[in-house]
Amino acid sequence: MRLFLLVLLFWAGALAQETAPPPDLSPEVFQIARALRCPVCQGESAAESNSGVAVEMRRLIAEMLQEGKSPEEIKAFFVERYGDWILYEPPRRGLTLWAWVLPLVALLLLGLGLFAYFRPRPLPKELLEEAERRMKEPPA
Amino acid sequence: MQRNPKELPSVLAQERRPAPDFTLPLLPPYRAEWGEAFRLGDHLGKKPILLNFWASWCYPACYEEAPVLESFWRRYRERVLFVGVNVQDKEAEAVRFVEQFGLSFPSVFDPRGRVGVDYGMYGVPETFLIDREGRVVLRHAGAVDEAALSRYLEEVLR
Repeated sequence: MRLFLLVLLFWAGALAQETAPPPDLSPEVFQIARALRCPVCQGESAAESNSGVAVEMRRLIAEMLQEGKSPEEIKAFFVERYGDWILYEPPRRGLTLWAWVLPLVALLLLGLGLFAYFRPRPLPKELLEEAERRMKEPPA
Repeated sequence: MQRNPKELPSVLAQERRPAPDFTLPLLPPYRAEWGEAFRLGDHLGKKPILLNFWASWCYPACYEEAPVLESFWRRYRERVLFVGVNVQDKEAEAVRFVEQFGLSFPSVFDPRGRVGVDYGMYGVPETFLIDREGRVVLRHAGAVDEAALSRYLEEVLR
């Protein structure tokens, strides 16, 4: 049991080390950096990448936090320089509003289409009459 | 879409914003002529400026454009100021690069790459053109070739 606990402790320690940010920067820096793209990487945020630009972006974020800037102000600083592209989540305005609205519209249309297709329809009158007639007929 | 993918849209260039100012130490080979530090603001609004971000580890693109830049600098130095910004590099390696190509236009040393972030730089090499009024008018991503460079310079000198 003691061995098990010891192993568990080591494992938890290793796990914490993997995900914890380096000690010189606060977790808030990484939280903001996660919302920003790394300009020189593919599919990596400024929080994960070790490229020079991403490291510098984290330093800048840390400095701006120290100056008392809000996360929104810090993100705006990068948008000023790189455009909306730098944000992982497209802003919900202008042309990129469509990125948010179109999937919802598509889902709605799909739902309507499926409903119309599978909706229970009343059987045609002549079929019903035929069925009734057959029921009344004595079995052959 | 842009016709030329090397002319990446840049917030600065699209809106013709004033070029962000910076003061950085010059690489040792340029200190005799330009002083210890270089302040872009001292030169803005006088004549057009070509700002080229480069690094010695940027192979082959930076190695391809270095001779082109040097030959154009020799031809245009009276009319356009060329400034190199060496980013995320080691000083000794940057100096070796400068000597290898005999680059005579001044280059500043920005090991942290802060100026690059200020200009919205993606990666080296990248070139920005600043007009006479001190506004960014163009960003070129990747190595510049002779055709592109002469087109840009003629445009900014018109």
